[in-house]
Amino acid sequence: MDGSHILTNAPRPGRPGRSLHRFANPGRFLRLAARVQPWLNALALILTATGLIWGLFFAPADWQQGDAVRIMYIHVPAAWLASAGYAGLAACALVSLIWRHPLADLAAMEISPVGAGFTALCLATGSLWGKPMWGAWWVWDARLTSVLVLFFLYLGHIVLVRAFDDPVRGQRAGAILVLVGAIDLPIIKFSVVWWNTLHQPDTITLLGAPSLYITMLWPLLIAALGYSATFAAIVLARTRAAVMERRIRALLAARAEALS
Amino acid sequence: MTRKRRRLWIVVACALGLGSASALALSAVSDNLVFFIAPGDLAAKAPPPGRDFRLGGMVAQGSLHQSTQDGRPLSLFTVTDGRASVVVRYRGILPDLFREGQSIVALGTLTKSGQFRASEVLAKHDATYMPKDVEQALRKSGRWNPAAGPAPAAASWDTMNVSKAGG
Amino acid sequence: MTHLPYVAASYALGVAVPAAFALAAFLRLGLARRRLAALDPRARARGPGKTGGAA
Repeated sequence: MDGSHILTNAPRPGRPGRSLHRFANPGRFLRLAARVQPWLNALALILTATGLIWGLFFAPADWQQGDAVRIMYIHVPAAWLASAGYAGLAACALVSLIWRHPLADLAAMEISPVGAGFTALCLATGSLWGKPMWGAWWVWDARLTSVLVLFFLYLGHIVLVRAFDDPVRGQRAGAILVLVGAIDLPIIKFSVVWWNTLHQPDTITLLGAPSLYITMLWPLLIAALGYSATFAAIVLARTRAAVMERRIRALLAARAEALS
Repeated sequence: MTRKRRRLWIVVACALGLGSASALALSAVSDNLVFFIAPGDLAAKAPPPGRDFRLGGMVAQGSLHQSTQDGRPLSLFTVTDGRASVVVRYRGILPDLFREGQSIVALGTLTKSGQFRASEVLAKHDATYMPKDVEQALRKSGRWNPAAGPAPAAASWDTMNVSKAGG
Repeated sequence: MTHLPYVAASYALGVAVPAAFALAAFLRLGLARRRLAALDPRARARGPGKTGGAA
C-alpha cells in the first residue's frame, strides 16, 4: 500500500504503482482511457445497433403479446444497466470513502446522471409496455416502487455532490448516501420473489433455463451487451472530461496565483 | 494504512448494522408489501366487507362467461390459486392479455354472497415468452394447454426445434 | 405490427436517451481537450490524445 503518495504529485511516469493505485493516477488514467475509448465506442455502437435492429425487425413476435414484446429489448437492458450502474456507483463510493481516491469521486459524479437516465428509460419503457399488456401505466407494486426509489437515489446523489461549496464534502456525503441506498439493489432483485407483485418474476436467472425462446434470447443478450458498452463508453468519456476539467481549473488557479 | 483499515471497518460495521436493520424492517412490513391477496389467503386475511382490496390468481379454465349489459361488456369468471376460488364479476373492457389460464389481479370488494365485484382488472403476465409456432407446437403435442395454466418447464421448449416438434 | 405506437415510442426513447448522453459527453470531452491544450503546451506534446480517442 505504498502507492498513496503517488497521488500527491500528479504525473510521475515510470514509477510502478500497485494494484488499484496505479489507475488512480490521473495522467495514467487519461492515457489508458484514450486508448480504450475508441474500441469501447465501436463495441457499443455495433452491439447496440445489432441488438435493437434484431429485436425490432427480426425477432419473432410473442404468441400472446404480439409485437409489444419487442419493448423487452429496450426495457430489460435498461433495467439491468440501472442496477449495474448503481453497483458501479456504490463501488466508487466505497473506494472514495476508504481509500480516498480522487478519481473515484470524479467517476461517481459522472456515473449518477447516466444511471438516472437509464433508470428513467427503464421506467418509461416499462410504462409503455405495461399499458397495453397489463392494462395500467403504473402500479405501486414492490418491483416498480423499488426501481422508482433507485431513480430517486440517483437524483439525490446528483444533487448532493453538487450542493456543497467544498466539493470534497459533497462527494463524501454523496458516497454515504449511495452506500446506504445500496440496500435497494437486493430489494429490486428479489422483490418479485419475496412479495407477490404485478410485475412478473425474472425471465433470465443465474440458475435454470431462461423462459424465453432462443430466437428472442439472442437479441436480448446482444442488446444488453450493447447497452452495457454504451453505458461504459459514456461514463469513460465523461470521467476523462472531468479529469481534464479539474486539471484546467488547477492550471488556471496556479496562473492566477502567479499573476497576483 | 491504519487509518484506511479503520475506515474500512467502520464502513463494514455500518453496512452490517444497516443491512440487518433493513432486513428486520422489511420482514416486519412484509405483509403490507403484497400487491394482491390470493383466494386461498382470503379466509385468513379477508379485509372487512365493503373495503377495496386486490385479488390475484389464475382465471380458471372454462369459467369465463361474457355478455353485454346496457351496452357495456359484463364478464363473470372464476379466479383460483389451486387452494380456493372466487367468482369475479367485472363490467368493462378486459386487458389484451386476459384469457383463461392467465393470471390476473382485480381491484374490488367482496360482496356478502362471496362474489368479488371488480372495478379494475389487470393481466399479470408470467415470465415466459415464445413465438406463436412454438406455442402451437406445444399445444399440438399435448404438452401445454394455455387455458389450463402456465407453460411447462422452460428447459423443455426454449431451444426446441419447432419444425420437428410441431409439424 | 401490433401495438405500434407503444413499440415505436419505446425504441425512439431507447435510441434517443443513450445518443443524447453520448453526444453531450463527446462535445464536453472535445471542449475540455481543446482548453487544456491551449493552457498547457507541455500537455500537447506528451498529451492525452493528440491522436487518440474520439468520444
